[in-house]
Amino acid sequence: MDANSLIFGSMAVISLAIFFYLGRFKASSKQTDREDRIDWSTRQFSLWKIFLYALVLVVGIVLVLQFI
Amino acid sequence: MSKHGALNTFGRSGNPALRADTFSQSAQGNRSSGGIQATDSQTMTLQGTVNKTGILLALVVLSASYTWNLFFQSGDAGAVMPLAIGGALIGFIFALVTIFKKQWSGITAPLYALAEGLFLGAISGIFEMQYPGIVIQAVGLTLGTLASLLFLYKTGIVKPTENFRLMVTSATMGIGLLYLVSMVMNMFGSGGIGFIHSNGLFGIGFSLFVVAIAALNLVLDFDFIEQGSEMGAPKYMEWFGAFSLMVTLIWLYLEMLRLLAKLRSR
Repeated sequence: MDANSLIFGSMAVISLAIFFYLGRFKASSKQTDREDRIDWSTRQFSLWKIFLYALVLVVGIVLVLQFI
Repeated sequence: MSKHGALNTFGRSGNPALRADTFSQSAQGNRSSGGIQATDSQTMTLQGTVNKTGILLALVVLSASYTWNLFFQSGDAGAVMPLAIGGALIGFIFALVTIFKKQWSGITAPLYALAEGLFLGAISGIFEMQYPGIVIQAVGLTLGTLASLLFLYKTGIVKPTENFRLMVTSATMGIGLLYLVSMVMNMFGSGGIGFIHSNGLFGIGFSLFVVAIAALNLVLDFDFIEQGSEMGAPKYMEWFGAFSLMVTLIWLYLEMLRLLAKLRSR
């Protein structure tokens, strides 16, 4: 087994172990007891707003390309 | 947000993911079993979602190993292409069904994982043939990102808010738009949007941006799962939570592969 496989393979195994261990626990109160949590029951922003922001991002990238 | 207040809020909602009937179905489940309080066996739990994510990951690896072996036995990309394209298309159909019929997640999410695995195994084989060792690097980095972000989320270091959700969703949609335009341009023979696939500084910068957005989507998935279990969503939402995590992980893995390939081809 080469060093590449050993390093990244161990990283994958350790990360999976962390995921399966940590995933079982509730998040800390710092995360759960906040007023500005996402309310997954409602969409605060309309799809149009999201689409507009996405479009701005695409146009921005294209404009940056023009100047490079 | 108190649990009671949150339940009231969720009860008023029309959101397809966690809407009013999600909780009424959960309540029906409790009534039919004669219980007053929700128990772990009837409602969504973190442990259940993690277990189901493990099952989906195992299914992806199982079907990916089939096309991976087929590719290396034949040494010909043409031999696995029908399975790869078929897997991607069938996976896409199962993903749509899962999104619109969450109650079916227990069946459609594993089928999605199996179909996507066929696609991933073939694509990974092609990348591995071209750049030996790239697949284990992409797997390690993808799972490393998953574990790191889960730690940052659980400890409250990364706190997703509504603005965070807006930015990440918009950026994801923007990337989707760019890929769509590039694909349409490719179909008409204009070569697509060059920088997306280039191994220049801008191409690598773009790939890094996409990897970052895909990684931030994981935080949204964690928050969705955490709140679903807090609110006592129905049991099938464990499959749906695991499915949404899997969709993000597969996207992140593919973007990692592209980024590493760009870096190696320089």
